[in-house]
Amino acid sequence: MRLWEGNMSHIHLPDGVLPVWLWVSGFIVAILVEAILFRFIRKEELARRLPLLGMMGAAMVLGAAVEIVPIAYHVNLTVISGILLGPSLIFLATFVVNVILALFGHGGITVIGLNTLTLSIEGVLGYFLFRFLRRVMKRLTLATFLATFIALFFSTFAMLGVISLGTSHYEKLIHQKGEGIFEFHLAEGKHDDREGEAKESGVNLRRFIAIVLPLGFIGWVLEGAITALIARYIHRLRPDLLH
Amino acid sequence: MIQLSYLDYVAVERKSFLHRLSPKLKIIGMVFVLLGIVTLRNLPGLIFLYATLLALFFMARIPIKIFSLTFYPLIFAILFIFISGFQAHFIFFIFFKVLCGSTGVILLLATTPYPSIFSVLGKVLPSSFVTALFLTYRSIFILLKIFEETQHALYLRGGFQWKHPWRSLINISNAFGHLIIKGIDASEKMYESMVLRGFKNKIFYREE
Repeated sequence: MRLWEGNMSHIHLPDGVLPVWLWVSGFIVAILVEAILFRFIRKEELARRLPLLGMMGAAMVLGAAVEIVPIAYHVNLTVISGILLGPSLIFLATFVVNVILALFGHGGITVIGLNTLTLSIEGVLGYFLFRFLRRVMKRLTLATFLATFIALFFSTFAMLGVISLGTSHYEKLIHQKGEGIFEFHLAEGKHDDREGEAKESGVNLRRFIAIVLPLGFIGWVLEGAITALIARYIHRLRPDLLH
Repeated sequence: MIQLSYLDYVAVERKSFLHRLSPKLKIIGMVFVLLGIVTLRNLPGLIFLYATLLALFFMARIPIKIFSLTFYPLIFAILFIFISGFQAHFIFFIFFKVLCGSTGVILLLATTPYPSIFSVLGKVLPSSFVTALFLTYRSIFILLKIFEETQHALYLRGGFQWKHPWRSLINISNAFGHLIIKGIDASEKMYESMVLRGFKNKIFYREE
């Protein structure tokens, strides 16, 4: 199913669907967080690591663009990028990745700020969870799997929270009929029917969540397994990168 | 994503009036398209905006092959329709918003070489952000080549097989791991070359 082709923590909403206050707030918070995180990194260090950030960003973009054929899923590699880049740089990396993804239709341009916030939860949380779990468990693959699973769990709920904040706006959009070139007033006289219809046709967040969560769960497991296997592969060839 | 290099080729090689127009004007135009998408509340307004973008698309003589890219974001709009309870008006409304956005962006990318876009962005956005954006975009081309080679090698040696899902998953993960390691190696070489050419936190473009 093509719907599945997407990571559940990334808001694949087009422009003009979310209320203006919400996406503007997303941009403001993302810029503020970025400004704060930049204070923790020296200018020379940033300049030295920008090519690495670019490569990891490119890997994330490729991960989002390449469908894994037998299971029709795409990875986003945010947790492994977070582990390799650290919390300050992964935020900038997700910002950049979301700009590029938006240019290719993975979510609208106005949603970039919100997407950066939800996706960077994965990277930042994944980094700290990986550090903690690896120290506690001493097992690389299990620690990576759990860090990815938990980070994705939280970012998916952050995405659902963002969607639910716009509920009243979607209702306005759904019920603004009559101005289009197509006529949808065929049952104008049947008021009772229309009332029932209005209830039925309102914003159905429960249905949305019921679709997202089971798909999301499969996604958390898959991304967790793939990230753990990637970490194992990197550890085998370049163990220095994971320390 | 695979058509990225072709898109870039079209932006550089074609010579329509839209290709010759200043990148600054085209980016301002894109901002107005976005403003229209966000503020328009009726279907005829959106259809008019889409028709205008379509007219520009064909007047700029952009190959039809690229036009199919504008439909790609509709896949993601489908998920959002479940929220609406399948209201026809809402579905058309969303679809036209998506099509206006994607057609506008593809129009910009197919008529403007990417260094020109980053050069304009560098004047209004922080230099480290634009440098990161430029390096990421540049790195996609490098990694895409490595990824295609790895993908071919895996297919030819039976790396992906339905009957062995676990082995396939390990091979897919190893391919991504390989991509990351190669990417890190390439980033180190890239940094050395950048320093050699005098890089100090900012990349200068040809127009600057």
